[in-house]
Amino acid sequence: MISLKSKRLPVNTGIHLLPTSKFKTTLVSVSLQQVLNRESAAQTALLPAVLKRGTKQYPTLRDLEIRLEELYGATLTADVVKRGERQILTFSLEVINDKFAPGENLLQQGLSILKEVIGTPLLENGGFHKDYVRQEKEQLAREIQGLVNDKVNYALERCVQEMCSGERFGVYKYGSVEELQPITSGGLYDYYREILRGNPLDIFVVGEVDIEETFSLIRETFDFGRSSEPVKLPPVRVECVPERVSYEEEKLPVNQGKLTLGYRTNLSYSDGKYLDLLFYNGVLGGFPHSKLFQNVREKASLAYYVFSRLEKHKGIQLIGSGIEVKDYRQALDIILQQVDAVKKGQISREEMENTRRGIINRLKIIGDSPYSLVGYYLDGLIGGRPEERTEELIQKVERITKDDVVAVAENIHLDTVYFLRSTDEEEGGAN
Amino acid sequence: MRWQIKENESLKEKVFYTVPDGGPALFVFPRQGYNKKYAIFSTRYGSIDHAFRWNDRGQEEEIVLPDGVAHFLEHKLFDDEEGNVFDRFAYYGASPNAFTSFTHTTYLFSCTDFFAENFSLLLNFVQTPYFSEESVAKEQGIIQQEIRMYQDNPQWRGYFELLKALYARHPVRNDIAGSVESISKITKDILYKCYYTFYHPRNMAIFVTGDLEPDDVLKLVEKSLTGRSFPPFNLVQRLYPEEETAVNQREVTLELSVSQPLLNMGFKDTYSHLTGRELLARKLSTELLLEMIFGQSGPNYTALYEEGLIDEQFSFGFTAECSYGHTLLGGRTENPEKLHERLLIAIDETKKNGLATESFGRQKRKMRGEVLKSFNSLEFIANNYLAHYFREVDFFEILDILENISIKDLEKRLHTHLLEEQHAISIVYPLKNGR
Repeated sequence: MISLKSKRLPVNTGIHLLPTSKFKTTLVSVSLQQVLNRESAAQTALLPAVLKRGTKQYPTLRDLEIRLEELYGATLTADVVKRGERQILTFSLEVINDKFAPGENLLQQGLSILKEVIGTPLLENGGFHKDYVRQEKEQLAREIQGLVNDKVNYALERCVQEMCSGERFGVYKYGSVEELQPITSGGLYDYYREILRGNPLDIFVVGEVDIEETFSLIRETFDFGRSSEPVKLPPVRVECVPERVSYEEEKLPVNQGKLTLGYRTNLSYSDGKYLDLLFYNGVLGGFPHSKLFQNVREKASLAYYVFSRLEKHKGIQLIGSGIEVKDYRQALDIILQQVDAVKKGQISREEMENTRRGIINRLKIIGDSPYSLVGYYLDGLIGGRPEERTEELIQKVERITKDDVVAVAENIHLDTVYFLRSTDEEEGGAN
Repeated sequence: MRWQIKENESLKEKVFYTVPDGGPALFVFPRQGYNKKYAIFSTRYGSIDHAFRWNDRGQEEEIVLPDGVAHFLEHKLFDDEEGNVFDRFAYYGASPNAFTSFTHTTYLFSCTDFFAENFSLLLNFVQTPYFSEESVAKEQGIIQQEIRMYQDNPQWRGYFELLKALYARHPVRNDIAGSVESISKITKDILYKCYYTFYHPRNMAIFVTGDLEPDDVLKLVEKSLTGRSFPPFNLVQRLYPEEETAVNQREVTLELSVSQPLLNMGFKDTYSHLTGRELLARKLSTELLLEMIFGQSGPNYTALYEEGLIDEQFSFGFTAECSYGHTLLGGRTENPEKLHERLLIAIDETKKNGLATESFGRQKRKMRGEVLKSFNSLEFIANNYLAHYFREVDFFEILDILENISIKDLEKRLHTHLLEEQHAISIVYPLKNGR
């Protein structure tokens, strides 16, 4: 794997270079972290939407787009992602390698656009442009309400919201419509200035670049008057042993029921035992050979999709499946039996080895995409294992035993069963 | 030399091509520095091939099958006498998958280690059918859930409603997976019949990419062919009913559990058979034109966005298959009727005002950059290469074909394809009583 060349500036800013000639592009990705809060989530989510509407030099969407097109369709994105109990403003720019456009210096030109978008937004009376803020509030409100349109994700998100209703993690990555309403263009700009000054900022560059030159270029480009007294974000809450399992049910006019189970694993990415948990998840539901797929789909024919996955920073595991509403009890029983089987160590040698190879395969291909490389190292920063390479993880995965898997299973507790069901059927249902 | 090397200067890439004796076409695209190896094995057999004429031991016969057979077969080909081939891929750490489109079926895996073992598995399972009544019955439950999942997907529903509005007879109007009813009619015998017709080396191709030696890949293919013999290719003709030039229906609407309406708009192309560079050029020139009219730097996007008639997900594109083609555009909207009207006005205005040379140059540049960017992905390269091979064009020529497109080509597409009488819309509305 390509190793990270990092420099940390005294102003809570990290510059991370991943020099490689294997890609046809250069990717620059900028992450600004904020704690996930019910009160500020909508504000944070609104920022990238407003920022990419226009800058001082490129005041409209159209001006900005024309400039990007001139650079061979450079890709500029700005969005917010949720990692554990953090909301991360992510800006990225991808340009093609100069060997496909000789004499252009696309990276330098692209960086000046990215810098404009992050550092020199279009202002009006000391705040963001009013129309842009109003329009983006409307668009974001529709985006939040639109969660229900994708039933697969809706069911997973709803399970998390029920499960973590009193925790930061229960907040949707775009916040809520109610918190969006009172936001003003002036207030939003003040809020942005505050987080751009002190919150953790990390810049990644992946591509064929000269290390020293790029460090200086990035340092000069992304000088946002950062504070030397950085903001420290609170740690994520991971430990939780639920007193009892909550059963939640929701009715919508759907064809297929969605059964979702939320578990507390009491382990997160920053924990030394995280890889054992990853292994546990692989045995249970991370692959087609896993117990869930084999038993719910292949043996019982109850579902087309059934999987388990981890939210690595929060230490939550979700099991998701799409079933007939009438099959609720049967599907739930089979899922619980599989979880129980892993707990009891009923794991074959084949299941262990297939999972081991599957995980190693996934770790090895991280370096084959500029975006997954950035995602991997960003997770490392958040989880407090910033420079760990996949090779080190692979070595540890080689040594994981069945006992390790069973040991993590002991601290995993079912918290919430959420069932999205149709409005017109009598059978099934949660108890 | 066994290999024909297709080298492309614009992409700075080359692909190795050969046809092993009695085998399918083989392409190897070595890509240094990647850990991942990705291989696909495709047959030119998709959901639209549900009626065909074949030669059954000297007798020609016409067959019409229930919808969803190609997709069902894709699911069932993973079975063998010992159970399921997924397990053996898992043993070698690979990630196998398959998908069925309108025009072809593709089996694939990606891996980092044990390439030879995984590749041999792929070659062997695709060339060894094993269907039983019992396993067919079991799969019906799984595919039913797949169909139901899509029924709850508003984009998918709106898209198929539009295809039904555009086409009166062409089977592209039918869902790829079929319906709960149609798949209940699928039997073991139907699967075997389709298998032996369409899974013939002459109708198939393999594309392999990663840090690999072409000769090593070829040896594995030759080994998998040893001892296999294939009867003559017995497919005589794919039967596509004659499709009218005109659209089937102007407008269709439906109600679903959504937060906001969804507009899909389509323009039906008029060719009945087109292949090769001409087909790809048609796609590229139409997409450049759409970009000029509806793209973010065009004269319409900003106003539509600021009025809340479109959002970031507004999209457009041209589908270019050998037996049909259409432009699709649309997205979520507060007011589908008004958006529909405005999109038509935008086209009219463009016809009146003409196309700007300066914008055309930028769109070409942008498309060039986008193609190059997507060449970071091995999956993208492999999947597109074979899809275009079946359309009889070398995908690596894409930048050269793009370079040769002139603004005149776009004008022609504007005046012959984006015609009001050739368009239809579908609208998904939120349910009247509640969401």
